[in-house]
Amino acid sequence: MAKVKLSGIRKSFGQSEVIKGIDLEIPAGSFCAFVGPSGCGKSTLLRMIAGLEDITHGSLEIGGQEMIDVAPAKRGVAMVFQSYALYPHMTVAENVTFGLRMANHPKRDTEQRCLEAARMLKLEELLDRKPSQLSGGQRQRVAIGRAIVRNPDVFLFDEPLSNLDAALRVEMRAEITRLHAKLDATMLYVTHDQVEAMTMADMIVVLDKGMIEQVGSPLGLYHEPNTLFVARFIGSPRMNTFSVNLCDAGDGNVSCMLPGGSSIQLDGSSLRTGKATFGIRPEHLDVVADGHLQGKAVLCERLGSETMLHVDIGLADPITVKADGLTNVTEGDAVGLKLNPKACHLFGPDDRRVRSGSLQ
Amino acid sequence: MFPTPIERTQPRTRFAYKVFLPIALILWLLPLLGVALTSVKPAADLDSGNYFGAPSRIAIENYWLVFKNSNIGYYFWNSIKVTVPSVLVSIGLSLLAGFALATYSFRSNLIIFFMIVAGNYVPYQILAIPVRDLPININLYDTTLGLALTHIAFQTGFCTLFMRNFIKALPNALIESARVEGVSEWRIFCYIVVPLVRPAIAALSVLIFTFVWNEYFWATIMSQSVDVRPVTAGINELSGEWKARWELISAASILTAAPPVLMFFLMQKHFIAGLALGATKG
Ligand SMILES: Nc1ncnc2c1ncn2[C@@H]1O[C@H](COP(=O)(O)OP(=O)(O)O)[C@@H](O)[C@H]1O
Ligand SMILES: [Mg+2]
Repeated sequence: MAKVKLSGIRKSFGQSEVIKGIDLEIPAGSFCAFVGPSGCGKSTLLRMIAGLEDITHGSLEIGGQEMIDVAPAKRGVAMVFQSYALYPHMTVAENVTFGLRMANHPKRDTEQRCLEAARMLKLEELLDRKPSQLSGGQRQRVAIGRAIVRNPDVFLFDEPLSNLDAALRVEMRAEITRLHAKLDATMLYVTHDQVEAMTMADMIVVLDKGMIEQVGSPLGLYHEPNTLFVARFIGSPRMNTFSVNLCDAGDGNVSCMLPGGSSIQLDGSSLRTGKATFGIRPEHLDVVADGHLQGKAVLCERLGSETMLHVDIGLADPITVKADGLTNVTEGDAVGLKLNPKACHLFGPDDRRVRSGSLQ
Repeated sequence: MFPTPIERTQPRTRFAYKVFLPIALILWLLPLLGVALTSVKPAADLDSGNYFGAPSRIAIENYWLVFKNSNIGYYFWNSIKVTVPSVLVSIGLSLLAGFALATYSFRSNLIIFFMIVAGNYVPYQILAIPVRDLPININLYDTTLGLALTHIAFQTGFCTLFMRNFIKALPNALIESARVEGVSEWRIFCYIVVPLVRPAIAALSVLIFTFVWNEYFWATIMSQSVDVRPVTAGINELSGEWKARWELISAASILTAAPPVLMFFLMQKHFIAGLALGATKG
């Protein structure tokens, strides 16, 4: 267990700067997820922490020690690759113990650790198989086992579940969370899937274009996104956003002109007048006869427990509404939508938050 | 199904297939058949002008007569002494060079690689004089070592091109994951890269073995004595010793052609590639 501290980390590949100054402190023992769209530099950041990429500028501390000039193996980290990276010519047991064997680790202890990891990951029966004889989920577990036997202070995962099918992903998610509780190590987990980050992490770092957008707990990010980017990235289906005009309504309130002509009064906005972006999550819209917004349902996705309504309110894109599973709205129906004022977010012209809809 | 089984194609295609396949086969194999047939003819057949007909009897004794009446036994041994080290050293060097070129990014990486590729296109005949002069100056002319070094120099470039591309095709994550585990580069090379490129090593060994064994140009230029001449150059000498004994020359040729074929069958099981598949993807 060790804390990881990044200060002013930058990375350039030739002329192009990929990581543009990251300052972050990850407490020891936490499960920290890096999320962001593909190409935003998550893997690069993780590889710099692992020591596989040079850090162009800045400092990296693991467990209080400067790591810039330390070899990957001496950093006390273990990495699980997206592609598993199992050695195809070795059995599961050989794969798991390869690093220890190469370091001339005592044989007894190597075997001991291998068995322990196998037990933890339910790989006991598979120890003599080759990777090509394993299913995707089993390969993933071997890759994790290989990290566990090294007893690292920090685990680094680079999209470990993205090659698995949906059901297996849910299962492995629970398994990794369980391991984190058991192993008591710091885990850094890269994913482009916000659901993985929300369900597993206690700390989420949202990255975009090589910069940190926001750091926070899963619910913190969900309820109080600092920027429009985070608001849209966290939560599924994603937040509805459209532009509105604000005018001061006195008493600390602002009045938002909504599409369709009606308006809603909101308190606590730091921006008083002018253009802003209005945001509301699909789950905070209610279907009523006569609401703030009027539109026509263009698509109903019935998922059983809930129904996703896509409602055309005259904007370029329909807005999404999470309605009851038994709703009797059908495609083509006119629907009214009521907004919960406590759930309305406002973002200023610089896309930063001016009012949060944290339901409080 | 691809290709469509021949029984299910149009009659015209089927007819063409039945006519042209045997013709192509015969044309292809005719020289070899001719040599094989001649090699089992008794000397009397050739003396009486039976060049193209069936042998009057199977004169299998030609195959040991050629050993008894010539130095071919020595020549065989010379060929082995040149070929085996040439194959081992070329492959060894090219594995090391290929690993470096495939996995390390240093400034001159691509320049070196392109020079190696370009070197393969230089017609080696134009180098005959300087390449012969060098061993003369350093007292390696007409020695097995000199000949082997020449072959190594000429084959390693091609091998490096081949190995570099093969190693480059291995998933980079395999090497990186070993690095994170603290495995030294040398051990990564020995325990991960070499086992995974085994099919390439097998294919290349057979290829280089065949190239060097069948090589005639350097063999004649770089060697003279009976202790050094490889069998390809040695056979040439046979035609001078017995002007008309084509049956012995043919037998010697068949014997000379055998080792590369044997090599192929020995290495065959290692060719089975696809070992790297299933390494990374689910
Ligand atoms: N070795 C490299 N050379 C040049 N550019 C790279 C290299 N690795 C990554 N990049 C670039 O850096 C950016 C971030 O990549 P990456 O960290 O892999 O993104 P992510 O993992 O978030 O999808 C991408 O634009 C990618 O093209
Ligand atoms: Mg990535």
